[in-house]
Amino acid sequence: MHIDPLGEIHHDPLARIGLIMLALIMLMAIFAPILSSYSPNDYTGKIFSPPGKDHPLGTDSMGQDIWVRLLYGARTSLLVAGAVALLSSSLSVIVGATAALAGGLYERFCMRIVDAMISLPTIIVMILVAAYLRPSLPLLILLISAFSWPSGARIVRSQVLSLKERMHINASRTFGAGLMHIVFTHIIPELTPIISALMMQDARRAVFMEAGLAFLGVSDPMVISWGKMMNQALAFTYLDVWQWWLVPTGLALSATLMGISFLSFSLETAMDPRLRKGNVRF
Amino acid sequence: MNNAMRNCLLPGRDRWRSLGRRLQSLFPASVLNYFIALAAIFSINFILPRLMPGDPLQAIYGQEALVAMTDEMQAQLIRQFSLDKSWWDQLQAYVLGLLRGDLGFSYYYREQVSLVIMGALPWTLLLTGLALIIATAIGLILGIEAGYKRGSYLDRGLVAGLMFLGGFPDFFIGILLLLIFAVSLQVLPLSGAISPYAGLEGFAYVMDVLRHLALPLTSMVLVQLGSIFLLTRNTIVTLLEESFILTARSKGCTEECIKYAHAGRNSLLPLTTATGMRIPNLLTGALFIEIVFSYPGVGSILNTAIDSRDYPLIQGILLIVTLTVLTANFLVDLLYMRLDPRVRYAH
Amino acid sequence: MLSIKGLLVSFGNRQILRGVDLSLERGECLAIVGESGAGKTTLGLSIMGLARGSAAGEISFQGKNLLTLSQEELRRLRGKEMAMVFQNVEDALDPVQRVEDQIAEAIAVHRSISAKSARDMALQHLLFVGLDSKKARMYPHQLSGGERQRVLIAMALVNDPDLLILDEPTASLDALTKADMIRLFRSAILGRICIVITHDISLASDLADKMAVLYAGRIVEMGSAQDLIRAPRHPYTRGLIRSYPSMTATKDLQGIPGRMDHGLSGCPFHERCTQSIEICSRQVPPPQERDGRIIACHRGGIVPLLEVEGISLSFDSYPALSDVSFSLYEGETLALVGESGSGKTTLSKVIMGIYRADKGAVVLEGSRLAKWDGAFYSRVQMIFQNPKESVSHRMSVLEAVLEPLQVQKSGSPEWMLKRAKEVIELVELPIDDDFLRRYPHELSGGEVQRVAIARAIALRPKLLIADEPTSALDPSVQAKILKLLLNLQERMGLAIIFITHDIALARKVSDQMAVMRKGRIVEMGATNEILLEPKHRYTRQLVNCASGRYERDDGDIHPEESLAIRRFC
Repeated sequence: MHIDPLGEIHHDPLARIGLIMLALIMLMAIFAPILSSYSPNDYTGKIFSPPGKDHPLGTDSMGQDIWVRLLYGARTSLLVAGAVALLSSSLSVIVGATAALAGGLYERFCMRIVDAMISLPTIIVMILVAAYLRPSLPLLILLISAFSWPSGARIVRSQVLSLKERMHINASRTFGAGLMHIVFTHIIPELTPIISALMMQDARRAVFMEAGLAFLGVSDPMVISWGKMMNQALAFTYLDVWQWWLVPTGLALSATLMGISFLSFSLETAMDPRLRKGNVRF
Repeated sequence: MNNAMRNCLLPGRDRWRSLGRRLQSLFPASVLNYFIALAAIFSINFILPRLMPGDPLQAIYGQEALVAMTDEMQAQLIRQFSLDKSWWDQLQAYVLGLLRGDLGFSYYYREQVSLVIMGALPWTLLLTGLALIIATAIGLILGIEAGYKRGSYLDRGLVAGLMFLGGFPDFFIGILLLLIFAVSLQVLPLSGAISPYAGLEGFAYVMDVLRHLALPLTSMVLVQLGSIFLLTRNTIVTLLEESFILTARSKGCTEECIKYAHAGRNSLLPLTTATGMRIPNLLTGALFIEIVFSYPGVGSILNTAIDSRDYPLIQGILLIVTLTVLTANFLVDLLYMRLDPRVRYAH
Repeated sequence: MLSIKGLLVSFGNRQILRGVDLSLERGECLAIVGESGAGKTTLGLSIMGLARGSAAGEISFQGKNLLTLSQEELRRLRGKEMAMVFQNVEDALDPVQRVEDQIAEAIAVHRSISAKSARDMALQHLLFVGLDSKKARMYPHQLSGGERQRVLIAMALVNDPDLLILDEPTASLDALTKADMIRLFRSAILGRICIVITHDISLASDLADKMAVLYAGRIVEMGSAQDLIRAPRHPYTRGLIRSYPSMTATKDLQGIPGRMDHGLSGCPFHERCTQSIEICSRQVPPPQERDGRIIACHRGGIVPLLEVEGISLSFDSYPALSDVSFSLYEGETLALVGESGSGKTTLSKVIMGIYRADKGAVVLEGSRLAKWDGAFYSRVQMIFQNPKESVSHRMSVLEAVLEPLQVQKSGSPEWMLKRAKEVIELVELPIDDDFLRRYPHELSGGEVQRVAIARAIALRPKLLIADEPTSALDPSVQAKILKLLLNLQERMGLAIIFITHDIALARKVSDQMAVMRKGRIVEMGATNEILLEPKHRYTRQLVNCASGRYERDDGDIHPEESLAIRRFC
C-alpha cells in the first residue's frame, strides 16, 4: 500500500490547526518591522505602562515595548528551530544511515555513543558548556543540534535496517545495483516521511531548549528571546504587569510548540498504518 | 592437548560461560551505556575548564568567584587539585577528589558543592518521583480507556485536550498555575517547600509540605500526562489487533479483564521503555518548575549557580543529576525485566 | 445442536458470508475448507460472536439464537459452552503471563472458584494435553509451537465446551508435531460439536466426518469427508483437491484458473469454471441434496462428458472389443493402458467414428451419437503418436493450425488468423512470421507435437484423445508436452483420454485408469487406488513390470474374471 503522509495530513483538522498556528507565528516574525512602530531595543522611558494605543502590550521593567519584543522573539525562535532542524536531522541521517549500512564495529560504536547521549541530562550539559564559552546564538544552535541528533539517529538506523531487508532492495541488489544507486533510488525516498517527522521533533525541541535556556539565564545577550522575557517578567508577579508581559509571551511560545507538535503528531499517525484506521477526527 | 584434558577443561569453561549468562540476566545490557555516559560527563567536567585560556583556577572557578575568595583559599584549591602541575597530575587529583566525594567548593554558598546539592536533591526527587507516579497512573488509565474506545467522544476529547496541554512548555504551565492559584486566587503558597519559621511537626508538617508541593506537582503531572496518555492509547490500539486478545475474548473474559489484565499489562512494556528514555527530560523539567515556584530543589540551586557564575556548582549539579538519571534508568531497566518475561527468560 | 440458517455477514459494504446453512449434531465434526478469503475464519468468529461487522440470519446453539443475544450473554457462553482455538500460535497467548495463569483465568471467569483450585484444574488440563507442571510455570515464548498449540487446546477444553472450533490448528507446525496434535484433537473432539477450519485437506479428512467447501462466502459442496475427497462433484472442490499436495494422489498438481472474486452475480465460481453455461452468470445455484451430498451447481456438479456403453466390435469374428463401458467427466483424464493389441487404439477409433461398433453406444454430453459430423469434431479432437505423420509436410505451421478452423468455417479469415496465433501461443510456441512459415521437417519432434496439439485445440474441444502422444519424443521433451496437456486441461476443462502402454506415465497424468486386455477392460478405477492395490492379476503384472519387478505371472485370465473385478463403470 502506498501512503503519502504529507498529502494525507492536509485533511487532518489537527494538522490544519497546527499549520495555522505556525503560519501566524511566521507572519509575526516576517512582518515584525511592519507590525510595530518601535525598534525592539528602543527605550520608551515609561516603565510598566499598561496596554494602550502606543503600546499594544504595554512596556516592561526597562521601558521597552513588549509587543515589538514579542515579534522579534518569534524571529529568534523560528531561526533556532529551522537551523537546528536542518543540522540535527542531517546529523541523525548521516550517523543513523551510515551505521545501518556499514554495520560492524562502526555501527556498534555509533550506537553506544547514541545510547549514552540519550541518557544524559542535555540541558545541564548545554548550560555548562554555554557558561564556559559565553552564550551566543550560533553557539546555542550548534549546542542544541549537537545534543538533539542521537534519538533521531536511532530511528533512522532502525528504519534503514528494515529497509535494507525489504524485497525490492534485495531485488535491486540482484540486478547488480551499487550502494549509491540503492541509497538514492530506494532508501532516501523511503526515508523522507521519517526525516520530515524528525525535523519537526528537532524543531520543537530547539524552540523549547532555546526558550528554556534563556529562561534559566543562558542566552545571547544581544538577542531577544521569549524565554528571557519570561524570566524577567517572572520577577514581577506581584504587579499586574504579568497579564500583558508574562502571559502573552508564554502563549506565543506555547503556540509555536503546539503548532509543531500537532503537525508532527498528525504526520506520525499518517505514517503508522495501524493507527491510521483509528485516525482521530475532530 | 589430548582429548581427556580438553574434556576436563570444558565444564569449567562452561561454568564461566553460564556465570556470564547469569550476570547478564541480572544486569540489563544497558549498564555499559551508563559507564560511557558517566565517562562523558567526567571528561566534560575535567577538560572543558582546562581548555579555557588563562589561569586554570580562574577558568575553573570564574572571575567572580576569585574576587570573593581569600588568597588562602585560592592557594588551598591550587594545592588540592594540583592546578600548578601537569594535566596528568590534575587528573589524578580530580579523580581522587571525586572518589572522596569532593566536587569542589561553591563560593556562593560558601560550602562544599556536594553538601549544597545533597541538601536540595531530596526535594527534587520527591517532586519528580511523585510526578512520575501520578502522571503514569492517570495517563495509563486514561490511555487504556481511550484506546479501548478509539474514535469515541471520550477518546477524541482526551486526545485533543491532552495534546493541547502537552503543547505548553513545562515552565509556562507552572507559571500559569502560579498566576492562577497563588497570585490571583491566593489559595496556595507562592513559593518554597515548607512554611518558614512555622515549626510544624508531624501531620501538620506533612500537610504543609503537600500544600507547597501541590502546584509544582500539578504542573509536572500535566506536562508529563500527554505523552504517557498518547503512548498508552496508541499501544492499546495496536495491541487490540493482536490475536491473544481474541483468545482472551473467546475464553469469555470480561471487558475489564481484557482491557487491564491483557491489553493494559502488555502496554506497560513500551511505556516503561519510554519512561526510561524520558527520565533526563523529566528531571530537567523538574528543574524549570522548581525555578518557577522557587522550590528549594536542585533547580533553584542551578538558577543561582548560573546567575552567580558558580562553575563548580554547575559541574557538581551536572554530575549528580547525571548519576540520578542513570540510577533511575537502571531501576527502570530492572523493572522492565520484571515486566517482560521474554527478557527475563531469554533463551 | 448447532444449526446455521442463511447466515449473512458483511463488513462495511463487503459481503463476507452470503447465506451459509449447516447443521451439526453432538459428536459430529465438520471441516470447512476453501481458499483464503473464502470466509472460513469469519464463519468461526461469527459463531463465537466475535466477528466484526454485522450478521443476519440465524445461528442457533443450545436452543438459543446466538445472533440475538447480548454481548454479556455471549461472553458467558464463550469459553464455557463454545470455545475456539486460533490459527496464529505465535501470538495467540498473552506474552507476559504464565500459561497456567492464562488457563486458570479461563476457568475463573466462568465459575466462582478459588485461585488455588482454578490453578489445580489448569494443571490437570495441561497434563491431559501432555504438558507437565514445569511447562505450566513457563511463559509462552519459552514453549515450542506445538506446546503453545497444546496450551491453546487445554484452554479451549478447560470448561468442557459443547462446541469446539479449530481454526487452522496445525498451520505452523512441522509434520511430526502435527501428527501428535492430530492425535490430541481426535480425543478432544469426542462427544462435542466440532468445526475444523482449514485449507489442509489431509487434516480435514483425518479429523472430520463431514466436510463443507466454502467459496466466496457460500457453501458450494458439502458431504461426507472421505467421499468428498475421493470423488469431488463440484468443479471447485475438484480443483481444490487437485491443487493440494497429497501422498496418495499420483497425478501432478494442477491449480484453478483465475482468482476468487466476491462481487460476482450468479454462481460465485462461474468465471473460473470450465463448464459454466449461460444461467451460471445470472442465478445463484441453490444448494441441492443428492445421495447425501449437497451441491450448489446449476449443472449438478461436474458433468459426464463422454459415456461409452457396452461397445463390442469384431473384425472377421475376431473380437477386437467386447462390452466396453466407461464414463469420463469434464476436466478429467482417463488413461487407457494395456499391451499392444489390447484394443486401446481400436476403442479410440470407435469413439472418433472411424470404426462403427457392432453393439453399444457412444454418448457425448448426454446425447447418443448417431452420426459423426462437424459439430462432433469441434467437441472431440485427437492427437496421434507420430506427429510428423499427422501434420502434412506440405503445410506450414500457420496453414496446419488454420486447417481445422477453415474446415469448420468457424469465422472470418481475420478471426481465424487471430485464433490460430492464439492457440500457437497457448502451446508455448513463438508466433513470429518466420516460425509460422516453417514446415514440419524444419521443426523438432516436440515442436511438431505442439503444432499438432494447437491444431487439436483450435476448435475449443472438450475432449481430447491422445494416442501415445509422447512415445516418439525424447524424455525431456515428453515431460514438457505432458505439462502442456495438464495446463490446457486446467485452463479449458479439457477431458483427456490418454492412451499409453507406459503405466508410470499414466500415473502422472490421469485421474482414472482403465486397464485393457484382449479387447476388454479388466480393471478400472481411480489411478492412485489401482496402483496402490491392483486387484486384477494382469494389472498387478503391469504395475510390477513398471516398478522394475519382472516376475512372470503366466496364469491366463478369463474374460469372466475380468468382468467380476471391474469396479467402476
